[in-house]
Amino acid sequence: MTQVQPRFPDQKPEELFVPEIAKITRAENLTEQDRLFEIELPGGKDLGHEAGQFVEVSIFGFGEAPISISSSPAKTGSFELCVRKLGGLTSKLHTMGAGDELGIRGPLGNGFPMADFEGADCLLVAGGIGMAPLRSVVNTILAERDKYGRMILLYGNRSPDDILFTNELDEWAKGEGNEVLVTIDRPADGWDGNVGVVTTLFNDIELDPSRRIVAAVVGPPVMYRFVYAELQALQIPDNHIYFSLERRMKCGVGKCGNCQIEGKYVCIDGPVFTGDELRSFHESI
Amino acid sequence: MQRTAVVSESGLRDLLGRIIETSRVMAPVKRGKLSYDFEWISSPDDVELDYVRTVLPPKKALLPPREDLLKFEREDAGASPVIEEEPFVLFGVHSCDLTGIRELDWAMGQRHGVPDPHYLARRKAATIVGMSCSPDEYCFCTSVGSSDTKEGADLFVTAIDGGYFVEVLSEKGEELMKLAPDAREASADDEIKAKAALEARKEQITNKINAPAEKLPGLLEQNYASEIFEATAERCYSCGTCTNVCPTCFCFDVDDEVDLLLSSGTRERKYDSCQFQDFALVAGGHNFRGDRSDRVRHRWFRKFVYLAQEHGRPFCVGCGRCSKQCTAGISLVDVVNSVLAEAREEVAT
Repeated sequence: MTQVQPRFPDQKPEELFVPEIAKITRAENLTEQDRLFEIELPGGKDLGHEAGQFVEVSIFGFGEAPISISSSPAKTGSFELCVRKLGGLTSKLHTMGAGDELGIRGPLGNGFPMADFEGADCLLVAGGIGMAPLRSVVNTILAERDKYGRMILLYGNRSPDDILFTNELDEWAKGEGNEVLVTIDRPADGWDGNVGVVTTLFNDIELDPSRRIVAAVVGPPVMYRFVYAELQALQIPDNHIYFSLERRMKCGVGKCGNCQIEGKYVCIDGPVFTGDELRSFHESI
Repeated sequence: MQRTAVVSESGLRDLLGRIIETSRVMAPVKRGKLSYDFEWISSPDDVELDYVRTVLPPKKALLPPREDLLKFEREDAGASPVIEEEPFVLFGVHSCDLTGIRELDWAMGQRHGVPDPHYLARRKAATIVGMSCSPDEYCFCTSVGSSDTKEGADLFVTAIDGGYFVEVLSEKGEELMKLAPDAREASADDEIKAKAALEARKEQITNKINAPAEKLPGLLEQNYASEIFEATAERCYSCGTCTNVCPTCFCFDVDDEVDLLLSSGTRERKYDSCQFQDFALVAGGHNFRGDRSDRVRHRWFRKFVYLAQEHGRPFCVGCGRCSKQCTAGISLVDVVNSVLAEAREEVAT
């Protein structure tokens, strides 16, 4: 199994918990509750992350929270975070814009092993805010399109108002071998697209069983069981199904324990786990 | 061959007095009628040389219940680490608690290849004096292999007739002994006495886990679904006392504290507990261990399965604190033994 090794910030040992001060260079609201930030590290240096990794975002006085990286490693000079307004820190972030400063620690966690996706048909399944980290995978694939087989993105949302990156979805669908299917949970005024949970989209795709298929899944915990069943029905081997799990990663460096799944720490051993690993846990989802 | 010496009780207190003149000393003191606590002391007379166990383990000297990680100024958005390097002596640590420190050295210092600079600075600044103990009915160090630990101590002191047998275990220990001019060289007889004292102490321990420590990960894992965890959860209040007083628990929460003028502040960490209802709660509202029985099982598995498998030793040192101090009277050993008994019954039927 391909596994990206955990990475740690290139910093002095005594600065394990000291964030780097970074600058917001651009910010825009994608939905009522989601805001996209472009962030530049000092000197414009690259974050050096892998698709699927996260950073700890700091605002002094408000605390720190793990946020998955929304841009692909192919983007240099800055990176992007898509932040949903949920608590004190993220609400404060939503008041911030270009020119404001915040603290960054990372990249942290393992990320998706993109080498395993190379040469395979890539089935990407996103639910809600799960699109934020998956966008990093999408753009990694698009940046070196020839390296990968088909790219099929299934994206489920509660309502049309919750859909992220609306202006990019059409772009992603362009080009040979790219498919983007979006659905919303319940009918809504002005929506003439798919209706139903994300698993209903599996009826609309046709996969070539002779091809190697690799899947990446990011969404709310409730989605995983149902998506996993669909992926098993497609006979995708467990070690080629990658789930990114959500936990409360307070320290991000394998100490504080908040993100434990049994003996694993999601901030170190994850957040990306294979189907094999998920099956070995009692309490993963 | 390590050096050994013998000091009288007054000689040992004199030594403590001289140490206090040159460095901070944390040692066990009596609090109320029945409790002991590790505290910063100002007089050797305050030190309790013969105690059963303290409320909080000496972990508090290395990983305090609350500590600053960073200082920050909101104006210029800068932060600097708070690293405590001032030397101190941690006096009177029993073998179970020395074992706890050894496991924390791994968890905080080495695990995941990430050294925690705040823990390690304090650990490096510490000179540790280990000491023989007086067990009670809650102790079960002999079941988890921690009854003979001297590792991590710079000096180890054993009470013998008419004084204390001192083993000098490191350079730092040698430095401390320079402050004990009254110490005499130990004889072969002293050494025999000290060994006998340590053995006799182990014989007093009656509380036992009914399986060898190395078999516990497998035996418990086979009984993940045991109803004992459910039954224990019905008595548990999720108060977190057990994890708070545990020498090997190291989970923490991180919070920012801002001063009154909102101009500067600190990022602090404080003990957290896997027993708290919100410990595994995520932002979307999903709780991965929302059921109390899941949290109860997690604690036992954390001690005897998860970390034990990874580290090769139980992450419990048999100090008995969690059971002695549990508000609901839940005994860690009884729960393990009940799960083991249930498993045996299942095999038999």
